[in-house]
Amino acid sequence: MSLAAEAFVSQIAAAEPWPENATLYQPLKEDQILLSDCASSLAVQAYLRMCGLPVQVVGRANAEYMSPSGKIPFIHVGKQVVSELGPIVQFTKAKGHSLSDGLDDVQRAEMKAYMELVNNMLLTAELYIQWCDNATAAEISRPRYSSPYSRPLSYILAYQKQWEVRRKMNAIGWGGKTLEQVYEDVSQCCQALSQRLGTQPYFFNKQPTELDALVFGHLFTILTTPLTNTELAERIKSYSNLLSFCRRIEQTYFEDKSS
Amino acid sequence: MATPDELFCWEGDWGLPSVSTDCLVVLEISIISVGLKSQDQTTVEEKAYAQFAGAPLKLRKMSNPWRSPSGSLPALRIHQKETLSRPSDIIIHLRKQKYNADYDLSAKEGADSLAFISLMEEKLMPALIYVFWIEPKNYVDVTRRWYAEHMPFPLNFFLPGRMQRRQMEKLRLLRGDESLEAGEEVEKELYHDAVECMNLLSQRLGSQKFFFGDSPSSLDAYVFGHLAPILKSKLPNGKLQQHLKSLDNLTNFCTNILLLYFPRDGRENSNQKPLVQHDSGDFDHVPNKRRKQFLSALVALGAMVSYALLTGMVSIQHIQQEALEEPPDLQAIEEEGDG
Repeated sequence: MSLAAEAFVSQIAAAEPWPENATLYQPLKEDQILLSDCASSLAVQAYLRMCGLPVQVVGRANAEYMSPSGKIPFIHVGKQVVSELGPIVQFTKAKGHSLSDGLDDVQRAEMKAYMELVNNMLLTAELYIQWCDNATAAEISRPRYSSPYSRPLSYILAYQKQWEVRRKMNAIGWGGKTLEQVYEDVSQCCQALSQRLGTQPYFFNKQPTELDALVFGHLFTILTTPLTNTELAERIKSYSNLLSFCRRIEQTYFEDKSS
Repeated sequence: MATPDELFCWEGDWGLPSVSTDCLVVLEISIISVGLKSQDQTTVEEKAYAQFAGAPLKLRKMSNPWRSPSGSLPALRIHQKETLSRPSDIIIHLRKQKYNADYDLSAKEGADSLAFISLMEEKLMPALIYVFWIEPKNYVDVTRRWYAEHMPFPLNFFLPGRMQRRQMEKLRLLRGDESLEAGEEVEKELYHDAVECMNLLSQRLGSQKFFFGDSPSSLDAYVFGHLAPILKSKLPNGKLQQHLKSLDNLTNFCTNILLLYFPRDGRENSNQKPLVQHDSGDFDHVPNKRRKQFLSALVALGAMVSYALLTGMVSIQHIQQEALEEPPDLQAIEEEGDG
């Protein structure tokens, strides 16, 4: 979203309260959505639940093409459409819902830094495993990604996406990495998150922030999504405080509503 | 003892030891952790070297990426054989050799530095690419000019352009926008992110000398590598520089590291500043004289040969015909001999 549009949106947003019929769009849950999209979507859902803002999750086969930035997920609130966690956090803030107001400057700097750590390492690792590991790409990513489309188009779209992600990996210097190195990076990232979390219930003690939502979205999705092998989930399972962190957020924000 | 590892870097200017962010990061980390053995060694470096007398690095500054063993800079050549070109690989290699710039950090500080390095890669790096390679005035007046003046003769015509296309491609992929061009909107968004990132770094640094107390770590090297080029270069469009200069603690942090670890480069610059532009003409003559002579001889020879081929000497056809005719004759003779 451009800055001008952003400023405009936040002006209008401030005027209107959060409506009852807010909708979050993501690809089809059962047979289309991929690990990385599912993680990003879950992070936004967790964030909105932490803010106490109701949202209805809707699956659409063409969600990627509906999104203003081409990224999953996006929310449709009143007359506005906002995509990705960062802009959504700003959007809710303009409406008067914020989780990070209680932090001081240094803490806010650290929170932003750790959020970029998750984006830079976990999200990139998910994309790498999805599209650059040949077994995963052939067995899971390409068939699932193109499932709503018929034969010739499905091939074209899936390979186009794979080609795009691989070019991105080359550009950021991940192209030459082996799968083992990527798992190492994931471990390093989890190690850092685990150290930062320590024995606290949330990253900044008692109150959850958008960082908690983002970390939960990624870790919970990795833990619960079956892949060609379980190595990725195993790497996370060795950090017990991260596991109990995921369980805590799941119980606090997700179970009471579903039951 | 085995031959020392060699580190290849872009040469410096504007009072910096190197003009490339990646090279600056790698240089600074190696100095902190190993201590470099180079011609322009200085007291601090010597001290560092004395502490880690094990296997020092040899520093090679150059302005021709094709002379680096990997074809790009920075690069680290290990024992004359293996070559590493990604900064992260070089740092991991140093770490494996027990040269760890983060040796003194606690686990939590290590986690913090990883997080802030990611922050810079996501928020500051795209803006850096934009400032130096995409912004038309900066690119034409400063970046392209610098590389064209410093690279040897035939490369300076096409390598700067190719480097720019690569950076453009990288920025497009990072932003997920295939049709990204230089423009006010993109500039605003990138600068917004970069300014936010600088503010966050400034808040984190506070009034400390380094990010984690009194001794430098790899995070300091990353911050220095990303901010120093913005601070020291003389760009026509200097919005980021202006903002950086308003953050006193970050500015002091950069000048401090320059004084502590690269005193030579800082001093050279302050003495040479007025000379640089006058000298650049003579500068080129001396080091590349041989190569230029050789190349012009090669070009002349090429011209003569092609002229000769185009006009008179069509001997190639003759040879080909003979070659085609000969084998059957030989076979016939051999068969005769057998029979």
